[in-house]
Amino acid sequence: MKCSQVQKRLSAFQDGELNPQEQERVSDHLESCSACRERYAEMEKVWQALGDFKEILPERGFYGQLVKKINESNETRFPAGFQWLFQFFSSPWATSTLLIVGILIGTFLGNILAKSDLFPFQQNQAAYSGAAIEVFSLKVFDPIPPGTLADKYMRMASY
Amino acid sequence: MTAEMGSIPSEELLAKTAEGDEYAFATLVRRHQTSVLNLIYRYVGDRTMARDLAQEVFIRVWRAAKRYEAKAKFTTWIYRITANLCLNELKSFGKKKLLFWGSPREEGQTRDERSNVSPSAEDLLLAEERSRQISDALQGLPENQRMALILKRYDNLSYGEIAKIMECSVSAVESLLVRAKRNLQEKLIFFEK
Repeated sequence: MKCSQVQKRLSAFQDGELNPQEQERVSDHLESCSACRERYAEMEKVWQALGDFKEILPERGFYGQLVKKINESNETRFPAGFQWLFQFFSSPWATSTLLIVGILIGTFLGNILAKSDLFPFQQNQAAYSGAAIEVFSLKVFDPIPPGTLADKYMRMASY
Repeated sequence: MTAEMGSIPSEELLAKTAEGDEYAFATLVRRHQTSVLNLIYRYVGDRTMARDLAQEVFIRVWRAAKRYEAKAKFTTWIYRITANLCLNELKSFGKKKLLFWGSPREEGQTRDERSNVSPSAEDLLLAEERSRQISDALQGLPENQRMALILKRYDNLSYGEIAKIMECSVSAVESLLVRAKRNLQEKLIFFEK
């Protein structure tokens, strides 16, 4: 192995992350190459020095403060008496069910509210002349043609 | 109750936490508070901020307990929450200005202690000074390199685990560590053990 190849893998070698063959090849190279050995020694020295960064211990009231913060954040997020409601809505099943129910109610209301004055000639074609039906038919070129979803929406919005 | 909880794996404790079991949550916090606190402390270099952020991590654990998927190890999961908080959300906490080691109050305490001539106190001060130098060097590293290095050096995690926590590839972790070690060598060049 060349020095440049070894030096690229020195970090992984130090961390024991090379496969056994590579680990052995780097190890053999280090035995025979003083420059790489020196570089590795410097790396090891820094690694050891990092051990002087001492661990700290949690303060005594850590858990108590944590519980207090959780309670405070719960009160802020969920007004008292309504926590069950927020918990219910946070469930994915409840959200999906509500979404489906919303779509069904919206479709039902859309049909009911928009039906009353939609295509009066279709409901009673005998009362209209052929010309009138043709005029109604031209409405298909309107920006919002009658009977489309957009038309229903506009009708509902105008209520 | 707590003694019984002590032998239960963290994944099970989290499942109990999701059901609202406060004893399980307390055990979970006690078991992991030191590692989470120190990961953050080494990353931000400030005790008070580390404590606040560690509590934020456990608040997130409490809230997200129901969404935990048993596919990931609990330690990987909680470290991912911690790393995410440190790497992505620290800036939005508006506390980045606090990212230096030791508040003025801590420095003041050090000076007071220095006037004390007890040899053991002197040793303690030396150790503290050494710790401060290392912390300064760590704080000088780019964020991703710092996080990868802390997870490797102090938590002794494998590249694979670090990759899962930092949500990147194993080769990216290796590259981060190579650069982090090179940078640290330059920063700690005058560091005499």
